Amino acid sequence: IVVSKMNKDAQMRAAINQKLIETGERERLKELLRAKLIECGWKDQLKAHCKEVIKEKGLEHVTVDDLVAEITPKGRALVPDSVKKELLQRIRTFLAQHASL
Amino acid sequence: MPELSSGQRVGRESGRFLRCCGLTTTPPSPCVQPCCRPLCYEQSERRLHKSLQMKMEEMSLSGLDNSKLEAIAQEIYADLVEDSCLGFCFEVHRAVKCGYFFLDDTDPDSMKDFEIVDQPGLDIFGQVFNQWKSKECVCPNCSRSIAASRFAPHLEKCLGMGRNSSRIANRRIANSNNMNKSESDQEDNDDINDNDWSYGSEKKAKKRKSDKLWYLPFQNPNSPRRSKSLKHKNGELSNSDPFKYNNSTGISYETLGPEELRSLLTTQCGVISEHTKKMCTRSLRCPQHTDEQRRTVRIYFLGPSAVLPEVESSLDNDSFDMTDSQALISRLQWDGSSDLSPSDSGSSKTSENQGWGLGTNSSESRKTKKKKSHLSLVGTASGLGSNKKKKPKPPAPPTPSIYDDIN
Repeated sequence: IVVSKMNKDAQMRAAINQKLIETGERERLKELLRAKLIECGWKDQLKAHCKEVIKEKGLEHVTVDDLVAEITPKGRALVPDSVKKELLQRIRTFLAQHASL
Repeated sequence: MPELSSGQRVGRESGRFLRCCGLTTTPPSPCVQPCCRPLCYEQSERRLHKSLQMKMEEMSLSGLDNSKLEAIAQEIYADLVEDSCLGFCFEVHRAVKCGYFFLDDTDPDSMKDFEIVDQPGLDIFGQVFNQWKSKECVCPNCSRSIAASRFAPHLEKCLGMGRNSSRIANRRIANSNNMNKSESDQEDNDDINDNDWSYGSEKKAKKRKSDKLWYLPFQNPNSPRRSKSLKHKNGELSNSDPFKYNNSTGISYETLGPEELRSLLTTQCGVISEHTKKMCTRSLRCPQHTDEQRRTVRIYFLGPSAVLPEVESSLDNDSFDMTDSQALISRLQWDGSSDLSPSDSGSSKTSENQGWGLGTNSSESRKTKKKKSHLSLVGTASGLGSNKKKKPKPPAPPTPSIYDDIN
């Protein structure tokens, strides 16, 4: 039963994700997020941080993994609250709209 | 036999109990046929799974806890942010490897130079708005100081190189051929046409500095804008007096000098209409007005001794108090030189020449005197003509002066 419950959740998530992709909402949300992040200067802040990291590591030796490891947590933290709130709002709206799967 | 996703079959034949682990995320299609009864475990499992699935399908999300919903929303959000971060990382990495990552860095000095300015009254480059409105430039040609916004048109006229300048020049040439050939005033007209003067005033430029002020606000008679309205005017009267014409068939007598008045009255009806206050441009025998009216008008304009031109044959005795020859000369000169209509240009030329010839024959001194007075008259007439609205009384005062000059 536990397995099924977990499965149920997983299934639900899967179904929701599927719905998101099918209706194109995921793309829209992604674009919206990107635009908002650029607007609020998140990208520039992160870029400045990148520059420091790269200068530390040396231009030649930078790898994707390095960057991802350094930057992703900072990026997550730097997202302003307003952007986060708006995005969550939109997701909740979507979920409410597509109540019956 | 229906196949389960695991690929194992359950059939009636087999006596063995096969474990059908078909319980994957996509549940296998239910077994239609009842399978081996003893093996209930799998079936029950399947059935349970099916029921759960159906339940889930029926279930609405709102039925779930809000916390679950919120958790899902947070997850989705986290996914999106992660996507963005990853995307950013890839961009940066590519830029680093391709070598254009540090391209937008400049040295701090130039960064300071081009910093965005945020002061009131200035734009972001630090420039003052409206700086050139009140500036005055010195014209290299005539060395006058001109307002910046008027500088270009001024230069066009001053250098004589614009469209309008050539128009004016051509017209001037054409008209100078029609009018006095002995006109020796050959000043450079470029300067005169500077401030958009009326056409007729170019001969006596120096005297009429004050007239510039009057004429400036009005339309340039030589500009292309004018030419359209001119085409519809009376053919009788000349095109070279555009400043006297309104868009109507009458003439504003206020703007006419004595010269033009006289010429008008000899060719046209000239009766002033009550409503429009303009002179009638129809023929001398126009049916709208009586002879009495015409006479009145002429008396009003030309003095008490003036009469209708058609009535009398010679004006000299009545109009002017002077000797016969002098009167004749002056009369011919007025007639000839006051010609402003292209239709009469041919005939007037000859009469003009005769007039001058006669003048020469009789007395040299008088000729020059007449010439000067004539010129001054034409000058003043045209000059007054150019004062369209500001001076309503030009005809009256100069008329006595004509008499004075001649006498």
